[in-house]
Amino acid sequence: MLRLSGSRAVDVVRRMAPDWHGESRPRVPLLTTLRDPSEDRVLDHALVTYFEAPASYTGEDLIEISTHGGVLVPALVLSALESAGARGARAGEFTQRAYLNGKLDLVQAEGIRDLIDAGSDAGHQVALHQMEGGLSGRLAKLREQLVALEAMLVYHLDFPEEDEPPVPLAEILQAGEVLCAALQDLLSTAPEGELIKEGALVVLAGRPNAGKSSLFNALLGVERAIVTAQPGTTRDALEASVSFEGYPFRMVDTAGLRERAEEVERLGIEVARRYVRHAEVVLLCVSMEWGWGDPETAFLRELGMEKPVIVLQTKADRGSHKDDPDVLAPRERAGLRPPTELAQRIHAALEVSVIDGRGLGELRRVLKNLVFRGVITGGGLGQPLLTRRRQTEGVRLALRETQAFVEALEEGLPADVAATHLRPAETALEELLGIVSPDEILDRVFADFCVGK
Amino acid sequence: MNEVHATYDVIVVGGGHAGTEAAAAAARMGARTLLVTPDLARVGQMSCNPAIGGVAKGVVAREVDALGGIMGRATDASRIQFRMLNRSKGPAVWGPRAQCDRGLYPRAVRRVLDELSDLDMFQEMVTGLMVEGGAARGIVTRGGLRFGASAVVITAGTFLRGKIHVGGEAGQDAGRAGEAPSIELAEALEARGLLMARFKTGTPPRVDGRTVDFSRVEIQPGDPLPYRFSAYEEKPIPEQRVCWITWTGPELSAIVRENLQASALYGGEISGRGPRYCPSIEDKIVKFPNARRHQVFLEPEGLETTELYVNGLSTSLPFEVQERFLRTVPGLERARITKMGYAIEYDYFPPYQLRHTLEVRELPGLYFAGQINGTTGYEEAAGQGLIAGANAAARVLGRPSLVLERDQAYVGVLIDDLVTRGVDEPYRLFTSRAEFRLLLRQDNAVERLGPVAREAGLLTDAQGEALDRRTRARTAVSQWFREARLGPEVVNEALRSTGSGALREHASAEELLRRPELDAVTLFAVGNAPFDPVDEVVRSVEVEVKYEGYVRREKERAERLRAQAAFTVPEEAPFAEFATISREAREKLARIRPATLAQAGRIPGVSPADLQNLVLEVKRWNRLRRAKGDGLPAD
Ligand SMILES: Cc1cc2nc3c(=O)[nH]c(=O)nc-3n(C[C@H](O)[C@H](O)[C@H](O)COP(=O)(O)OP(=O)(O)OC[C@H]3O[C@@H](n4cnc5c(N)ncnc54)[C@H](O)[C@@H]3O)c2cc1C
Ligand SMILES: Nc1nc2c(ncn2[C@@H]2O[C@H](COP(=O)(O)OP(=O)(O)O)[C@@H](O)[C@H]2O)c(=O)[nH]1
Ligand SMILES: [Mg+2]
Repeated sequence: MLRLSGSRAVDVVRRMAPDWHGESRPRVPLLTTLRDPSEDRVLDHALVTYFEAPASYTGEDLIEISTHGGVLVPALVLSALESAGARGARAGEFTQRAYLNGKLDLVQAEGIRDLIDAGSDAGHQVALHQMEGGLSGRLAKLREQLVALEAMLVYHLDFPEEDEPPVPLAEILQAGEVLCAALQDLLSTAPEGELIKEGALVVLAGRPNAGKSSLFNALLGVERAIVTAQPGTTRDALEASVSFEGYPFRMVDTAGLRERAEEVERLGIEVARRYVRHAEVVLLCVSMEWGWGDPETAFLRELGMEKPVIVLQTKADRGSHKDDPDVLAPRERAGLRPPTELAQRIHAALEVSVIDGRGLGELRRVLKNLVFRGVITGGGLGQPLLTRRRQTEGVRLALRETQAFVEALEEGLPADVAATHLRPAETALEELLGIVSPDEILDRVFADFCVGK
Repeated sequence: MNEVHATYDVIVVGGGHAGTEAAAAAARMGARTLLVTPDLARVGQMSCNPAIGGVAKGVVAREVDALGGIMGRATDASRIQFRMLNRSKGPAVWGPRAQCDRGLYPRAVRRVLDELSDLDMFQEMVTGLMVEGGAARGIVTRGGLRFGASAVVITAGTFLRGKIHVGGEAGQDAGRAGEAPSIELAEALEARGLLMARFKTGTPPRVDGRTVDFSRVEIQPGDPLPYRFSAYEEKPIPEQRVCWITWTGPELSAIVRENLQASALYGGEISGRGPRYCPSIEDKIVKFPNARRHQVFLEPEGLETTELYVNGLSTSLPFEVQERFLRTVPGLERARITKMGYAIEYDYFPPYQLRHTLEVRELPGLYFAGQINGTTGYEEAAGQGLIAGANAAARVLGRPSLVLERDQAYVGVLIDDLVTRGVDEPYRLFTSRAEFRLLLRQDNAVERLGPVAREAGLLTDAQGEALDRRTRARTAVSQWFREARLGPEVVNEALRSTGSGALREHASAEELLRRPELDAVTLFAVGNAPFDPVDEVVRSVEVEVKYEGYVRREKERAERLRAQAAFTVPEEAPFAEFATISREAREKLARIRPATLAQAGRIPGVSPADLQNLVLEVKRWNRLRRAKGDGLPAD
């Protein structure tokens, strides 16, 4: 499909198809013979549809040309269009034109950007929803609620002697609280929303040879990290994007550092330390070969209480140490479990193997449900989510100001003083949507209240 | 007949609220000024309800006064009832409102005008404008006289092609009930290529007070305050009167509903838009069918007359219907109508054709003020008149122009709204139109604008001295709050009685004032302060101390806006060619031609992204122009 946008679109197509008169039948696909104007030979019989400005995607005259498939025909048509006066679009130019012509708001335009960049099904769905106006609609509604809230106050302040008494304070407070709750709801989608766009960081940790790189490759489905029997072969941190059950993740494998391969069990945990702080989840790999030990315990302690940890008992295909006493040193047997005071730190423990693939599906599911819990239980990918820092900051500011407004009223400050918080809240949402408010508050007062003598 | 009869610096056309302020401002600044109006006996006349002030409008009346204008003084000299609206609400929304004597008010206006040695008056209808070299150079009167001037201010009110609809009769040409409209002038201006559009407004019937049964209505006394609108002069205040309140009921609604077809508004006679906040009774009943009753205020028109203004029942229904529905209102069962309610439609000039100085963009030297800019209300007219007059004089005298910012005055908000956003219904001020409500209070109008007025040459010596006295008083009060330290032994009893936590150590009066339950009255009493706590200066300082954090925040927000205002957009910028700006925004920018980034940001339809691109486009364009050697300085 080729698309042509701009005031001269009709002329260009006419040059290739003198008999075409699509402009008199907008939105109807017409079978049209396309010729190369420079060589006058038939290129294709294509379906050509005309959309009249401003009722088109870009808001300009727009023509869609559906050629026959393959490589050659579309390329020939494209080149003929260029010799007929068209030029290739720059990246994002169609969207930009749509935005400039007022067909999209800022948040929708961001959705389109995200759609192009989306690396996962979930990212794709969220971007699509945003592009179709899902998030814009929610933001617009919140802004409308703010305007309504201010209108209640304005009725009280600007129209003191009307037929109806002022809106009771309790009602204004309640409307303020309802609004705060709605803003809070949307804001709470931000952490996961941003993760859907960027991918959730998952960091692998474990002693050398615990099987981290093998797992990394198995989860990615490609041989990214170098796997050897010799510890210390993974030279630097490796990062790769991957999607589990449609949700985006960024896996990070460790840099190797070690001295004495034989003393593997005495070495500390390897982990890409600078990533840990930003990780959503840490996968702690513990080989069935030697089990839980002091390094694992020390690592968990160091990790702090907030970071979710999943313990993976790797190389599960080799069978439990209990079944095969030869494989494991006796002193490790007792220690396969972490000390009880750390047990609660562990979100889940799974047995995995890259040889027979056991536990890998479960691991993907557990990761998805752990990281995207809120989205999954809160209405899925069809709900508006905040996916960008800009959006999150705007909603957070609106929330903070609305809360301050409610508190000020509760403290007994006069309404006009408390109201100083509402304008900044409105502005924050308006800047997100890229609109400037005309005097909608008064419009609202006139619609809702009988005012004036 | 082409010779000029006389030449002035400034000519003001129209002697209403805009015109008188314009003429007085120009004359105070030292410009030789002529005021031309068809009936000198009606200078300063109140076309509608004789009341000045209210929420936001009261602040404007005070701003006009602070700028050396007439309105505050005339109101003090003629007010027969005063109320401070919103007294129980926040400090920023107090609205002083005065019911005035319809006869005393214009007389007071005239007295102020007569004191101005640089002002002449002449009685004639103006029919044309003299233009030379693309600039306004004077006026032509109906009798064919020509007066030359370097600047002309037009303030023709509701008179331009005015048409009134009285009691369901077919519309008659009139500028106000009983006065001729101004048709030639409207045509002359239109012929100059100025855009015009139509608005409407209405007025209720008046009744004979001797036929009202006052036992059936509620009395509404005024506030017994020595309040004055004027900060510079203490005129004696006339004897005070009361107003009354009564209510409409379902019977009235039924009568109005049955007769809607006969209303000029609803029968389709009138096409222009009317103000939503000043609805006719027809409007109220159609729009809010469920409201059971509507308030009606009975307001005296003066000390010497028994006529009452029936506030709340504006209508253009036929006389018999007006009479019939009045009878259903408690107290008005036998009321006799003295003047019928009527509606009026008139031309105005969509105000985006103006600069912030109120000069017509396409016709230098021509200024517009008042109702003809699409506003309604005496205060709005007066504020514009003063600014237009001052700028007309400034142009002639070679002084800097006078433009008030949005964080400086309601008058600034008003004019910026007009020229930036335009109007789609008759424009009236509300506090919610101001984004810095807390800064624009009635109690600090003098502090905000007195110094500006002095700088512009708008204050007389006596007014300047009054300003200095007030500034000294304010400093003394602020200083007392800052320096007085009150100990537990004097404060705790007052604190206990308000349920507030007791004090252990000495604290400054300022800190104590920030406690919600303490006020200046209490602190002055316990601290033996040498000030009168009901004095306006005290009140003003009190507000600023008490809500200091909030006031500071507003000031900071205002600062940020001022930073945007510092980015200027050249007037000749080719907005239509700025391709990175959305089409809608481009069209609006090209029409309104904002002078600064801040102004561009207030145009509906111009988004923050458009603003960013505007900055880039303007910089790029300036660079190009420099490259072409247009003699622009480097930035
Ligand atoms: C019927 C009616 C109802 C109203 N209702 C309301 C209301 O409900 N609320 C409210 O706030 N305001 C109301 N107003 C508006 C209020 O009266 C005006 O806003 C205010 O008077 C405007 O002041 P101005 O100076 O612009 O015009 P005006 O006060 O109208 O003064 C115009 C002056 O210009 C003179 N003039 C006109 N044409 C010429 C000419 N060609 N040459 C020389 N002089 C000329 C006139 O004689 C007059 O002196 C109403 C007005 C009318 C007429
Ligand atoms: N049997 C078996 N061997 C594994 C498994 N995972 C890793 N290994 C082996 O363990 C050794 C170390 O693996 P590697 O992934 O390099 O460990 P790392 O140092 O933690 O990255 C290699 O010899 C792997 O083949 C597994 O699931 N089953
Ligand atoms: Mg490795």
